[in-house]
Amino acid sequence: MSLTLASWVGALGACAVATIAALALRKPFRVWAVGALSAVGGILGSVSAVSVLAGVQNGTVELPGVLPLAGARFELDPLGAVFVLIAGAVTVAASVYGIGYSGHGLDGRVVQAVFPLFVMSLLLVPAAASVSTLLVSWELMAVTSLVLVAAEHRERPEVREAAWWYGVMTHLSLAAIMVSLLWFAARAGGESFVELRAAADRMPDVVRSSVFLLALTGFGAKAGMVPLHVWLPRAHPEAPSHVSALLSGVMVKLGIYGLLRVGWDLLGGGPAWWGTTVLVLGAVSALFGILHALVADDLKRLLAYSTTENVGLILVGVGAAGIYASGGDRRLAAVAVTASLLHVVNHALFKGLLFLGAGSVLLKSGTRLLDRLGGLARRMPVTTACFGVGSLAIAALPPLNGFASEWLLLKSLVHEVADPPVVVATVMPLAVGVVALTGGLAAATFVKAFGTGFLALPRSSNAEAATEVSASMRFGMVALAMACVGLGLVPNLVVAPLQRSVQALTGLADGPGVEVVGLGMETAGAAGRLAPGVIAVALAIAVAAVTATGWIMKVRRHRRRVAAWACGRTVQTARMEYTSTSFAEPLQRVFDDFLRPELDLDVSHTSESRYYLEAVRFRIGITDAFESRLYRPLVERLRRLGEYARVLQNGSIHLYLGYMLVVVLVVLVLSR
Amino acid sequence: MTDGALFRFLDFAVGLSLVCGYVALWRRGLVAIVKALAVQGASVAVVAMLMGIYEGHVQAVVAAGLVLVVKAIVIPRVLVGVIHRTLEYREVEPLVNIPTSLLAGALTTVIAFIAGRHLVALDASPATRGVPVGLAVMLLGFLLLVFRRKAVTQVVGFLMLENGVALVAFLTTAGLPLIVELGGALDLLMAVLVLQVLARRIVRQFGATDLNQLVNLRD
Amino acid sequence: MTAAAIAIGLLQVLALVAIAPVVTGVMRTTRARLEGRFGPSPLQPWRDLRKLLRKERLITEQTSWIFGVAPLLLVASTLVVVAVIPSVATTTLLVDSVDLIGVIYLLLLGTVVLALAAIDTGTAFGGMGSSRGMTIAALAEPAALLAIFAVSLRAGSSSLSTIVEGALADPAGLASPETLLAFGAVAVVTLAEAGRLPVDNPSTHLELTMIHEAMVLEYAGPDLALVEFASSLRLTLFFGLIGTLFLPWGIATTDNIAAMAVGVVAWLVKVLALAVGVAAVEVGLAKLRLFRVPELLAAAFILSFLAVIVSFFLR
Repeated sequence: MSLTLASWVGALGACAVATIAALALRKPFRVWAVGALSAVGGILGSVSAVSVLAGVQNGTVELPGVLPLAGARFELDPLGAVFVLIAGAVTVAASVYGIGYSGHGLDGRVVQAVFPLFVMSLLLVPAAASVSTLLVSWELMAVTSLVLVAAEHRERPEVREAAWWYGVMTHLSLAAIMVSLLWFAARAGGESFVELRAAADRMPDVVRSSVFLLALTGFGAKAGMVPLHVWLPRAHPEAPSHVSALLSGVMVKLGIYGLLRVGWDLLGGGPAWWGTTVLVLGAVSALFGILHALVADDLKRLLAYSTTENVGLILVGVGAAGIYASGGDRRLAAVAVTASLLHVVNHALFKGLLFLGAGSVLLKSGTRLLDRLGGLARRMPVTTACFGVGSLAIAALPPLNGFASEWLLLKSLVHEVADPPVVVATVMPLAVGVVALTGGLAAATFVKAFGTGFLALPRSSNAEAATEVSASMRFGMVALAMACVGLGLVPNLVVAPLQRSVQALTGLADGPGVEVVGLGMETAGAAGRLAPGVIAVALAIAVAAVTATGWIMKVRRHRRRVAAWACGRTVQTARMEYTSTSFAEPLQRVFDDFLRPELDLDVSHTSESRYYLEAVRFRIGITDAFESRLYRPLVERLRRLGEYARVLQNGSIHLYLGYMLVVVLVVLVLSR
Repeated sequence: MTDGALFRFLDFAVGLSLVCGYVALWRRGLVAIVKALAVQGASVAVVAMLMGIYEGHVQAVVAAGLVLVVKAIVIPRVLVGVIHRTLEYREVEPLVNIPTSLLAGALTTVIAFIAGRHLVALDASPATRGVPVGLAVMLLGFLLLVFRRKAVTQVVGFLMLENGVALVAFLTTAGLPLIVELGGALDLLMAVLVLQVLARRIVRQFGATDLNQLVNLRD
Repeated sequence: MTAAAIAIGLLQVLALVAIAPVVTGVMRTTRARLEGRFGPSPLQPWRDLRKLLRKERLITEQTSWIFGVAPLLLVASTLVVVAVIPSVATTTLLVDSVDLIGVIYLLLLGTVVLALAAIDTGTAFGGMGSSRGMTIAALAEPAALLAIFAVSLRAGSSSLSTIVEGALADPAGLASPETLLAFGAVAVVTLAEAGRLPVDNPSTHLELTMIHEAMVLEYAGPDLALVEFASSLRLTLFFGLIGTLFLPWGIATTDNIAAMAVGVVAWLVKVLALAVGVAAVEVGLAKLRLFRVPELLAAAFILSFLAVIVSFFLR
């Protein structure tokens, strides 16, 4: 049994043992056992993924009797290995974090038992090698994540609504995926991925495009693509924070995995309009996500919308790859896919880190609202430092890991194409504009989140009372932070193995698109080079040089603390600080037409005179445009349809039996 | 003048007319918008003159001079007079804000380039390369008509539309016959003079030339 | 890297570091003379820096470690960019490790760090400066990156040395429409990123009109010296970038002494000419209202977008 297979099966086994332990053990041991065993599962999963990416043979498992009709097939190939890797890495951090985070309310049998099952599903989906296996693993993932999202429904009523939205959307996405894959399998005459790949060429174009569009709908809904993203900003904030880290970091990426697998691996690529559709949807998701993150005042909602933005960026890369590949430029397509996969890995790391940090803040201060936080730098130094690393990473600033994937993405879009087809010439500049704008807005958003949430003075007594979190939670955050820093310094550790997965996408790659040159990487055709490690070293040398100059010029080292000058004002309270809403106000005004905030101004005067005000109440609310314009009217219309359908339901048993008789007769006639 | 240098100047003039279109979309001051129109008219005249020199038609050069006088000097003067008489100097609140209208301009330019390349393919030469730019200028004029409120801006939009058409005409056919140019220029002049009288009347009646207020006429 | 290459790279860094405060001084003097005053000498900023370095180090009470670290990181990131951009010669210390896109993001790192430090002070002016500064930085990104797209499309690479060598090999291409449009966009981005009129008035004393100054209101002594130095370095860097990309004549492509001397003189002439030119234009400009700045940046975006479209379609 190869290393790959042994460690993968071992990971699954560890999760199974964790579930049993959760059901069997008593409270304090339960949490420890689940945390430790899930972490072990994560480590073993990562080992299996690394061994596949390092060139060891793919692990294949065939279990003919497990599922009815077709049996289960698993094959861990390089594409799936990338996603198993991030699942393993984030699980390790999240499980250890969960040991400290699961206080009262989260250490019940059900929640603790379902968590390892969720991890197991995250390891199963990327390895599924037949349609039924994929569908069953997907459903397992959906159900377990739903249970985890609804974990705190007794304490907070909003959780129930969030779980509702999530449950409905995830099952609609499952329906779309099911129709798409079953249609494909019916056409191919078999259901294992090998048979599907072989049959793809013989299918007529209409069928291929329909299968692709249905898969895009289903997998895109899971990934949080606009307009199917509405469940994301509701479900991710309400879930427990370590679960949110896995949801945002890993589960939405499995939507990307599905799209790559079905669209480019099984179907073997398609015409340019596939890529253009994906790119346009990605660009819209990116802009929409970051605009709503910018104006969000709930920290976890901000992070959820930021996930939509990053998924949009990944989809831009995938779409660009599709456009290039259909035009025959496979090297450039390889660069674009490498950029997307690298962003998948990076985002899993820093989004997981940010959610864990937000969870620490939530646990210790009791609030998620940025307008009530602040001053945490002194009270929670480790959390602040880790969140700071995550913020700089997600803003794509050198020398952290987000910069390498953003650079690769921009390079793939900016590349010179010999005789550009019209699609490339018109879409690429707009795509670059969108990516650049989201990059700038992301920097502003995370300056807001980190600055108002963690720095300066605390804005409420909740924030004042916060203290640093326990050791296990600190471990989870620091582990991910160090991974971000490490990948920022040496992205080649991941880029070189990623090339292997890129080759695996038969419809796309032709040769390595990104070459590792010395300490840096270079895109195909020597069109630009980046060495992030050198940047980090240069920064360190510059800092040292400046410090040395200061020492030579005898600059005083001791710093005296004084009150803020603030233009001569002597009193400085927390009320005078900028809040997160006011920080985002200039940008919100610029994008007024797209955000359409609801403004509510309520002025009450004293009874004696209209010239003296008693109270002024100002409310500003920004709702998700898709939710208010698309989903709510749709739900209303469905409800009205349901009302009409009530006519059929008048309570008489004989009528219902009559319905059944009619249907049986119709079926008999039709299948004569 | 060598052919290479001539085409370089041609490219420059064509590009300048496109940039003037964007300046008109960008600025709020009505006088600045009219100045952008004047520069655009001058660049269209330069294009006409260069094409006339290249093809060797004397009447094209005369037509260019006529275009220069009418589009770059006379009409802008009249429009500035209208501005001073109606005392409206700024487009205070356009229907669509400036960054959005600039973005819409970018999108219409892309569409113009996509649509125009088939025209270029019919007869590819360094001169006809600029035909999509003429289409783009037309579309920018249209955007001005749709997005702005003041009467003067609307007229500038209409004139820019006409500039775009003239640009396409000069680049592809090296100019229409002189008599047609004369007729066209006189028509334009008439339209602008009529507006001058009307604008004063509208301001006296309604207080402003905000065309959006015309909606109130409906009952 | 050969010893000669390292020497040339170091020379460029030192030259820029030495000249940066003088550029700010030249701009102040030009402005003063055009306004009818006598004005300070161009070397005054160096004297100011020396004075500030000797002062006591003060730090605001409620700040965290970020406030203290920010000036250092700001200067460090700007110095790294200085080591990348070719000014006197095409070989610099880091031109093979960082390309134009990396330059933009390194400058963004400096802005972000300063904005965080400004929020950290907990004063209303710090928050205001930080919010406004990040707004402008975010909206200038698309214009900057699309301009890079246009420039690197012509050269076939985003590496600065390749771009400069390509421009030197084809000087007629510098007058093409796409380069002129890209130049317009980069000019507006320079004014926005370096905090000059009409985006931000560096010599204002009215807090509600400040953007960059509001962010550094609480800094004093050596920390303020670092921040001031970083901002003049940034300005000089942008002038150098414009000179390198759009006026590359005189830059040394070989490493003999004569070429280097010509390169130094050419670079000094370009940077000082740009400084005097921008200062002269500034005298006639008024600062834009904050909510008109997005219109200016949208116009810059359109210029660079047109540059890309033109280079794709009119080739």
